[in-house]
Amino acid sequence: MNRYLVATAGLSLLGLSVTACGASPSSSSTAPRAITVGTLYSGSGAFATSSQPQLAGLKFWISQENSKGGVYVGAYHKRIHVKLVTYNDQSSATTAATLYTQLITQNKVNVLVSDFGSVLTAPAVTIAQEHHQLLFDPTGTGTVFFTPGNKYIVLTALPTSGIWPAPLVQFLLAQHISKVAILYDSNDFDASQAATVDSGLKAGGVTPVYYQAVPSATASYGTLIQSIKATNPGAVLEFGYPPNDIAFLQALRSSGVHFPMVFTAFPGQLHQLLESNVGQAGLSYTYSYGFPPQLAYNTVNEGLGTSAFVQAFAPTDPASVNFLDIAGYQTGLVIQAALRHASSLSQLALRNAVASVSGSLNTIDGSFKIDSQGGQVGELLPVSQLFPSGSTTKIQMVYPPASATHSAVYPAP
Amino acid sequence: MPAAGFVVANAFYPNQQELVMMMVYLALAQGINVIYGFTGYLPFGYVGFFGAGAYGLALSVLYLHVPAGVGLLFAVLAAVAVAALLFPLLRLEGVYFAIASLAAAEALYEVISNPSLAAVTKGPYGINLVSAYNANASFVAAVALVAVSMGIVVYLRTSRLGLALRAIRSDAVSAEFAGINVVQRRTVAWLLSAAMAGAAGGTFAWYTSTFYPGAVFDSSISIFAIVFALFGGVGTTWGPALGAVVLFGVYNAVGISQPQYFQLIYGVLIVLLVLFLPGGLGSLVQRLAPRWRRLRRTPGRGPEALPGVGGPDG
Amino acid sequence: MLLEYAIVAGLLFGVFYAYLALGLNLIFGVLRIVNLAHGDLVMLGSYLAFELYYAWHWSPLLAIVVAVVPCILVGGALYLGVAPRLARAQDPEMMSLVLFFGISQVIEAIAAFGFTSNERSVSANALGSHPVGILGQAYPVTWVVVAAASVPVLLILFAYLGRTRLGRATRAVMASPDEAAAVGINVRMVSALTFGVGVALAVGAGSLAVFMLGGVTPTEGVSITILSFAVIVVGGLGNPLGTVVGGLVLGLAFQLTLTFLPNWASLVPYVLLLAVVLTRPTGVLSRARRLA
Repeated sequence: MNRYLVATAGLSLLGLSVTACGASPSSSSTAPRAITVGTLYSGSGAFATSSQPQLAGLKFWISQENSKGGVYVGAYHKRIHVKLVTYNDQSSATTAATLYTQLITQNKVNVLVSDFGSVLTAPAVTIAQEHHQLLFDPTGTGTVFFTPGNKYIVLTALPTSGIWPAPLVQFLLAQHISKVAILYDSNDFDASQAATVDSGLKAGGVTPVYYQAVPSATASYGTLIQSIKATNPGAVLEFGYPPNDIAFLQALRSSGVHFPMVFTAFPGQLHQLLESNVGQAGLSYTYSYGFPPQLAYNTVNEGLGTSAFVQAFAPTDPASVNFLDIAGYQTGLVIQAALRHASSLSQLALRNAVASVSGSLNTIDGSFKIDSQGGQVGELLPVSQLFPSGSTTKIQMVYPPASATHSAVYPAP
Repeated sequence: MPAAGFVVANAFYPNQQELVMMMVYLALAQGINVIYGFTGYLPFGYVGFFGAGAYGLALSVLYLHVPAGVGLLFAVLAAVAVAALLFPLLRLEGVYFAIASLAAAEALYEVISNPSLAAVTKGPYGINLVSAYNANASFVAAVALVAVSMGIVVYLRTSRLGLALRAIRSDAVSAEFAGINVVQRRTVAWLLSAAMAGAAGGTFAWYTSTFYPGAVFDSSISIFAIVFALFGGVGTTWGPALGAVVLFGVYNAVGISQPQYFQLIYGVLIVLLVLFLPGGLGSLVQRLAPRWRRLRRTPGRGPEALPGVGGPDG
Repeated sequence: MLLEYAIVAGLLFGVFYAYLALGLNLIFGVLRIVNLAHGDLVMLGSYLAFELYYAWHWSPLLAIVVAVVPCILVGGALYLGVAPRLARAQDPEMMSLVLFFGISQVIEAIAAFGFTSNERSVSANALGSHPVGILGQAYPVTWVVVAAASVPVLLILFAYLGRTRLGRATRAVMASPDEAAAVGINVRMVSALTFGVGVALAVGAGSLAVFMLGGVTPTEGVSITILSFAVIVVGGLGNPLGTVVGGLVLGLAFQLTLTFLPNWASLVPYVLLLAVVLTRPTGVLSRARRLA
């Protein structure tokens, strides 16, 4: 029997030594030679379309800083070169967990940035907390991530999903739309938005006439649209991920049903993707959230403003710039502010520095403001509407009045 | 014990998460070994027990406020309860069983992640067990998991139960004639296998502590467990363990940045194994080391399959 | 009104489901193996339709026809290549299951290389732009066109099985390979041809699946295989005509659940599959009814 045991133990080690290649420990006695930023991206899978632009935005920030000789680190009073370490998690949360640990324990990154969205950020939350590593979370807005005891997370580029729809609720109430239908996908991200709209409307005296969760894999919306039509709603809100929004808008168009107002989350965020799949006719006069760059912030005190960013990021194809490019860049700006103000490179010093700039940082993504748990409460998302323009559609902000660039057309023609 | 190998590895290998995953997959591969290697039932939906275990631990910690170590018992209980519910599946054979078990696992996932049950299971909103999180304790649990799952397989290889199971596998009718209670023995193997996956799921949940239902019902978990077990060779003591350690090591070296390459590699491996080396890597080792094989005469599918072997490699 | 809508939608989807699962059932009927790569072949068909439409500006429906000859050649050759080895295996049924599982993984990996894992969808405009009225209600034109395209495929296949010599030989092999061989039928060639036809049916159905099941991704194969398996289990394994019944049952059950209990709709194929498999284990395993 012993023979087995020795063999197996030996093999365990063999297997591990295979995996151990590629680790590069860095020492940090004086000023480090480079600031290592570690992140994951999805080269494929459900989140690839969103993850890749987010990484591109972060890379853009790094190249901007490195072209100036590095990012300014206040603790050492000098600019230090930024080095990026990335791995592909293939949209798998399980793979991501291993890779986040690898970034922390083997690559010993100075700055940890999570992948796009709540699903791929979830495994990072505990891992970061356990290793006392601050997690810069660009777009993982899940409500379960932000807990009173956890100092090791900051949400950089979006508000928590619970407060996304706050302006939307105000808009619905201001338009006196009394019959609201809500269809949402059963995942944390969409369900928390739906719950916020539901409770917000009820507080305003409006009870949704249709409030239904459907599995995230739903593709046949045709039948559901008939059920919604039977309630004769004045507004239909669909909360999903991009594939759901595409399937819903396509089904709506091909079913020939017309609603006075249709709201989906992603046309404002991934305009080109939605337009290439749904087309002008399917998007015209629908509503969405307003995200940068359509929502412009040109008065900033950190980094580039909207027009300058779009010019520098995609000089040949400004229309291709989407929100997630900006989310990645915005995360870089928060890191930059933290590095400038932190008294050392320790993770808690970075966290305190982020807290110290909260409320005074105005960027391409609006006013950066976090609560004590690291959740984002600035950067509110206005309501936008898509108007036909030539052979495509153009996104205009319609609510609240302070950010409006156009007045809302309700009911949709 | 191989468990000791992981303890040693932990001392100098910094990515503990990867070690834990390797141990979890080792236990899962051994669980596949118990049900497929000893009875011939191949559960494509094996991840159902894993997910049940993860939720067994999570919900007992959240609602009964038991320590996570005790929660592991609930993980096993939950998986065993699901297995008991699925007893009727054992009436099916071959493909029907394989695909029905896959459907059962998918159905379980749809139920647990259903928003209508959010009050009980937290539905699609996911689990947060940060309060119970303890990296060292859950690492120890994973080491124990490896020890126990190896122990179970060693027991099956040497006990009357294992002998009976192999007799049933090679010829159920004759076994019945020989006085073996076929249904009962299969049931025991089914429950054991489910318990192993449940414990693995519980350990994973404890170590990960923040997860969405999709992460613990991910069908690639079944796929990996089956591939690892087949690669090493089922019906043997250490084949699945070897498969898990080697292939998961390869996965972390190659697959982590380009998982498609890994998928391609193991897809091709499976095809080659089926065509040229049905007994798995274990049988290759046995073939190359005849002296060693004489030392430990191993019944089971490896050597029996050898006459059919035609190709030079695996 | 909602009930009527769900029933018509269920029938439209049902015809499509029958087409989707037919290749799987045909292969099972003749070869007694479950082609676990079935869903992956459907996925490849969806990409074929996508490429035809966007790169060549052809109708995606042409994929049904374009796929036939290459699929029969590739599928037949694959069968001839692996069959002798499988036949020698200790447990051919289990080994074929594992083999096709491996093949399915390889197809998935290659598709991810070739097409990336980003979801792709074909614009519904490819099949027409105006909703179609049936019994006073408007249905998406995609549903109607897909159902209308599925019916002739089903009819042609049944005509092939019922009216041609090769088709009759195929049914003879389905009934009993030994007896078929005894009356001089080349079982091996019939099996290879049937495997090729099954592959062609799967790939062809893929061109419609991209409209009915949402966009296409390389990983969608597994769920399509389960869905198809549910259809053929409900309708009777190895019984091509039963596939139509199974498709309609599944289509109706799914659309009715989606209308009245939307939360639980995705459970439908799994529950139906388990219910049939567990309540009629002998009925499923036997092949009582056969194409007349």
